[in-house]
Amino acid sequence: MSTLSGAAAIVGIGATAFSKASGRTELRLAAQCVRSAIADAGLSPSDVDGLVTFTMDTNSEIAVAREVGIPELSFFSRISYGGGAACATVQQAAMAVATGVASVVVCYRAFNERSGQRYGRVQAAAAQQPTSTGVDNGWHYPMGLGTPAATVAMFARRYMHEYGATSEDFGRVAVVDRKHAATNPHAWFHGRPITIEDHQSSRWIAEPLRLLDCCQESDGGVALVVTTTERARDLPHRPAVVRAAAQGSGADQYVMNSYYRPDITGLPEMGLVGRQLWGQSGLSPEDMSAAVLYDHFTPFVLVQLEELGFCKPGEAKDFIADGTLELDGRLPLNPHGGQLGEAYIHGMNGIAEAVRQLRGTAANQVAAVRNVLVTAGTGVPTSALVLSA
Amino acid sequence: MIRDVADQVIARGESSRRAAPDPVNVPMVRHWVEALGDRNPIYTDPVAAAASVHGGLVAPPAMVQVWTMFGLRCTRPADDPLGAMMSVLDEAGFTSVVATNCEQTYHRYLRPGEEVTVGARLTDVVGPKRTALGDGWFVTTVSTWYVGDEPVAEMLFRVLKFRPPAEEPVGDVLRPVVSLDTEFFWAGTRVGELRIQKCLACGEVRHPPGPMCPGCGSTELTHVVADGVGEIYSYVVHHHPPMPGKRLPFVVALVELAEGVRLLAELIDADPAEVRVGLPVRVDFQRIDDELTLPVWRVRS
Amino acid sequence: MMVAVGDTLPELVIEVTPTFVVSTAFATRDYQDVHHDRDAAVERGSKDIFLNILTDTGLVQRFVTDWAGPNALVRDIAIRLGVPCYAYETLTFTGHVSERDGKLVVVDVVGRNSIGDHVTGTVRVELP
Repeated sequence: MSTLSGAAAIVGIGATAFSKASGRTELRLAAQCVRSAIADAGLSPSDVDGLVTFTMDTNSEIAVAREVGIPELSFFSRISYGGGAACATVQQAAMAVATGVASVVVCYRAFNERSGQRYGRVQAAAAQQPTSTGVDNGWHYPMGLGTPAATVAMFARRYMHEYGATSEDFGRVAVVDRKHAATNPHAWFHGRPITIEDHQSSRWIAEPLRLLDCCQESDGGVALVVTTTERARDLPHRPAVVRAAAQGSGADQYVMNSYYRPDITGLPEMGLVGRQLWGQSGLSPEDMSAAVLYDHFTPFVLVQLEELGFCKPGEAKDFIADGTLELDGRLPLNPHGGQLGEAYIHGMNGIAEAVRQLRGTAANQVAAVRNVLVTAGTGVPTSALVLSA
Repeated sequence: MIRDVADQVIARGESSRRAAPDPVNVPMVRHWVEALGDRNPIYTDPVAAAASVHGGLVAPPAMVQVWTMFGLRCTRPADDPLGAMMSVLDEAGFTSVVATNCEQTYHRYLRPGEEVTVGARLTDVVGPKRTALGDGWFVTTVSTWYVGDEPVAEMLFRVLKFRPPAEEPVGDVLRPVVSLDTEFFWAGTRVGELRIQKCLACGEVRHPPGPMCPGCGSTELTHVVADGVGEIYSYVVHHHPPMPGKRLPFVVALVELAEGVRLLAELIDADPAEVRVGLPVRVDFQRIDDELTLPVWRVRS
Repeated sequence: MMVAVGDTLPELVIEVTPTFVVSTAFATRDYQDVHHDRDAAVERGSKDIFLNILTDTGLVQRFVTDWAGPNALVRDIAIRLGVPCYAYETLTFTGHVSERDGKLVVVDVVGRNSIGDHVTGTVRVELP
């Protein structure tokens, strides 16, 4: 077991409303969710001395600190690779408080991803940045592969070819997410479940991906407050202890385009993350009470189940077939509805859901939750957490 | 499939008859002649009509279809033959429609107060035909209007149900960021060569290229010119959203080359429905401008 | 009425105002949005709202009966549809007698606008 396991906990969560047009600046969204997370933790802005976010976030730590009234920062850090950063922000915060570099760190992510810059569209500026990533993008964007859905579709087609998975298999993930969102009042798709027939009749976006394989686009912000487990015991809520936290980048890694590995049916970076999680925590997949798996696109939910050891490669379609992912199933998936159903806040809303499940305050509460697995964005260098009661 | 459904619907014959919501009536005729500017007195002037060959008011023959239009709130009956044929063609991708012919025959003029019904049958489905609008099917129906059991008018109506041609590309192709490490590749495409990086020290070939051989650490690198033949390893049919410089939908294929590396490019001049993993392809080159030429794939037969 | 093959009919010129497009669409009980809602028409790829087919048939009938008079009997109207007729077009109908068999004559009709032939066809009419 690593020294990190159990040293830190998430003690506060905060979020703005999730919408399609917030009508506010991203900085205001950030300030609002950070402030509400601090209040939820029973702390005040002056208790905070660290901030962590994504490199993609447009709100600087100093601007957020100014707005929220956080006087001094002794720790600030950012994580790269889009949604792959989500769980790593908590890992950064946990390492900072465990080592005494900071005492209370807030992780935040806030954007107008629907009313402002939409990640589902072609990002010409990102494609042509004068960096090594820009050079990498030159092998894909000019050829017409330039949206997240299309990049995942390329993996998904090969996965289908090798394992016989079908569009219906992908659709089952969307159906369960939307089922859970339907009973979560905070979800965009509250009250709007879908059937597998709805999925099958939804239009193609990037074959083999249909519209209902793709997560929504959202405006909103989520923040998480991290401190030491020792201090957490004196705060109002039951802490969500960071039992394990890991990042991973695989061999021959690209951002969304790791097409040059011998095999492209897996997500080896998530396999690496999984091995670290089980190693740090001393737990195994069977010990997970629920899983919040990053679901920007349905096929990668199946691959994650395989990489994290819930089933063997290619067998996820069978693993999920018989209600496994339902709230009363063997591995309840995304009880909040995931990013397909609740909102796309780059994975951060999934971490907040794991905290609620451990507190016992979730809209769709799973019974007797002990440990919750949360993952971050896939297809990119990624991260994940095991949070425990 | 289209043929089978067409034959079934043709064999069904005429649909059940649908009644006009109103009898033939002077107010609707008056609206019609006013809108079209038709001053023929036999439609609305009782005195002139009485003096005409008709001996009284009649409805304009070209209004026959008006009496049985669906209007705002009605829905197509389930046995409507045109509706059935349209949905099958929609599913097959022939999603656009344009009417080509309308031929009405009037057996007699209708008079105010007459109650009209209409039945329709599918008579002909021809295709696929290449047309100026795109590939499509000509679908012909014949409607018959009745007063009681007396046929009073007929209409042959033909539509072309076609596959809309690919959308014109919007914007210019996104240009690659080219570095000193990768410029040999783009210099190659400009002269019709698919250049694959090769390590001078250990001989390893690699794509995409970089500044250092990951196998042996050498920075002494050259390239080989690939034969440009390979097989599709995976592919995407891109439908949405629009991609600068590309015509929707288009296919992007990840190809395993005979040299043992994979390279990604657009597959051009291929029917997306025919693409599969393992399909043999060869490279071709698509000149964008003096600076940029993109590699593309073509199906190798 | 003295009619011979080759006789030309008086031209009919229609100023296709938006009001004309909309009022004729509604007078023919055709509520498809492309005939009255310019935003919807543009969304569907058209330049503007455009005339519906029932109106084309009606205008062809009017063109012939304006010439043939109230005692002529229209027996059939067969039209082929060409380029659209958008609002703000001028639509000009021209025609001539192409066949005559006793009282029965066939008139060839073309309705043309600035883009090209909008409607071409034949009308069979029985003269008094």
